[in-house]
Amino acid sequence: MTPPGISPRRFEEALHAFGAAIGDGNVFAAEDDRIAYSDHYSADETRQMPSAALAPASVEEVQAVVRVANEYRVPLWPISRGKNFGYGGAAPALRGSVVLDLSRMKRIAVDEENGTVLLEPGVGFFDLYDHLQDNDIPLWLSVPGNSWGSVAGNALDRGLGYTPYGDHSARICGLEVVLPDGGLVRTGMGAMAGGKTWQLYRHGYGPSWDAMFCQSNFGIVTKLGLWLMSAPETVVGVDLEFDQPDDLGWVVDTVAPLRRDGVIQQSPSMGSWLRSAAVLTTRDEWTDDPGPLGDSVIGAIRDRFGIGWWSLQLRCYGPREMTRAALDVIKRAFNARPVLAMKEARWERGDSPEGSPLTGVPVSFPLANANWHGGRGGHIGYSPVLPPKGDLAIEQFRRTHALYQRYGFDYHGSFAMGERSLTNVNQVLFDRDDRDMMRRMDAFFRALVADARAQGYGEYRTHIEYMDLVASTYDFNDGALRRLNEKVKDALDPNGIIAPGKNGIWPAALRDQAHEA
Amino acid sequence: MKPRRFLSLALLAACATATACGDDDAAENASAPAQRGFIQDRSSSSPAEALFVEKCSMCHRAHGMGTIILARRMPPERAMLESRDDLTADYVRQAVRSGIGNMPRISRGEVSDAQLATIADYLAEGGP
Repeated sequence: MTPPGISPRRFEEALHAFGAAIGDGNVFAAEDDRIAYSDHYSADETRQMPSAALAPASVEEVQAVVRVANEYRVPLWPISRGKNFGYGGAAPALRGSVVLDLSRMKRIAVDEENGTVLLEPGVGFFDLYDHLQDNDIPLWLSVPGNSWGSVAGNALDRGLGYTPYGDHSARICGLEVVLPDGGLVRTGMGAMAGGKTWQLYRHGYGPSWDAMFCQSNFGIVTKLGLWLMSAPETVVGVDLEFDQPDDLGWVVDTVAPLRRDGVIQQSPSMGSWLRSAAVLTTRDEWTDDPGPLGDSVIGAIRDRFGIGWWSLQLRCYGPREMTRAALDVIKRAFNARPVLAMKEARWERGDSPEGSPLTGVPVSFPLANANWHGGRGGHIGYSPVLPPKGDLAIEQFRRTHALYQRYGFDYHGSFAMGERSLTNVNQVLFDRDDRDMMRRMDAFFRALVADARAQGYGEYRTHIEYMDLVASTYDFNDGALRRLNEKVKDALDPNGIIAPGKNGIWPAALRDQAHEA
Repeated sequence: MKPRRFLSLALLAACATATACGDDDAAENASAPAQRGFIQDRSSSSPAEALFVEKCSMCHRAHGMGTIILARRMPPERAMLESRDDLTADYVRQAVRSGIGNMPRISRGEVSDAQLATIADYLAEGGP
């Protein structure tokens, strides 16, 4: 296999040149390597298989790789750790691209006094957690529910966590980026050689470019500055369970003002019963019927594990006096409302670690949900963004739930509550060895995107397979944003070598073909 | 190498009372993000064990995705790879590079052949 438009002989020459730049032992072009960097959750792993992978260990090696890629017109697909499995993992949007695997780049520099870290893309959440623990640094991470990925990669893809720092891309402060021509730039205050405030002041002087490198293909981020929260004196809150699907509406309307006004500063997520159950059990323990799960089955599962139709955890972080007052406000808001169960949670400095993403502890167990259907499972993320209004949330739930039923999938949705938005994160669970299910999956996903678009809602992030589809829904003024992105792409990357197709942004040479498709 | 940090029994007790931890199995199985007490033992006492911790333990020590899923298919004590005495180095290498069940393939960029050899020998020798 070779990248599109490159002969086997020419590609062989390119691989030798890459080897000269980073060492032959860090060029992976065997069949096993290609599959190892494919989409593990795909029914057909060869569909978006790369032609090879390269693993540089330094920014200088990344620059050298980019220069070779320009010379040979080899498209590169940069990954940090390649663990965002619900979005395609390490696999490229353009089949035959060469994966640029940055997982060997693992340097960490923490500024304990100011609560910042400057890290390379290969640093995983567990790596950073270990670093903080081993050095007794009283700073906390914000981690996603599945924490085996890259801290930088997750922030650049606008991943979410559960602490007050849960909007990860909003905490980025300063980047180092290899540009598509091999040049190197530092953003914000890092633009000053020897500047002392790179990780402290986000805006810099003149235009701010950090956001330009999120969910884009305009450069390769080799260092990322991130703010980390101080370990708080206390964490208090409530674990709430709700009995009925329609409870979603009033709960959203109850939490939204608390969230907007800062009483709740973390990012709560209201999850349906299956979010808990799919980790705790497998479907075949409850039914042999492949059709929609009936209320009796759902009721039995909920009874067994003591979970509501929806679950929600709210937390406040900070000095004891402040969290106590905030918790009082939260409890008052839920007073006399139809809550199935409410349990207080409390952690204080000096206690044993609380041990969950709510306190920034990395975990991998939630991805046991991939086993819900019993076999080799997987999931795909569908995540439209809504206004934070209860009636709209209920309508979204009902329409989406009906589509799940129509296409034969088990509803697995949650609502992440931002300051002024509600992200309906769905992890659609499937068995990738079930061909019929995987065929339905594609039609189902397209129906979901169309449904959201009809309501005026767009996805915040999507799988490599659907990047063009989702990009096409951002269609104001006949796709003006796409055209802007393409102008920037052409200006920075005239050879189109960095991540063609990422988030629907194609270089000029591949654009017509992509748009026709 | 890192000082050994043991999982606190108090944390497991906290888990047992946490949401969705309603039965005995739930100490090992729980859902995000309500459940608590899932501090993983990240300690090691040899370079090989440290490598296992860095590359594998997020899924293959207590509370890891791999351990949870394996425990559905075999006695729980066998679900912890470091406790097994029947793993061969060849089997470990094969599982890592080819993937197995819900475990994805691990690339050579993430774990080099030399690192994998160290980890495979560590597990074949029965862990710590």
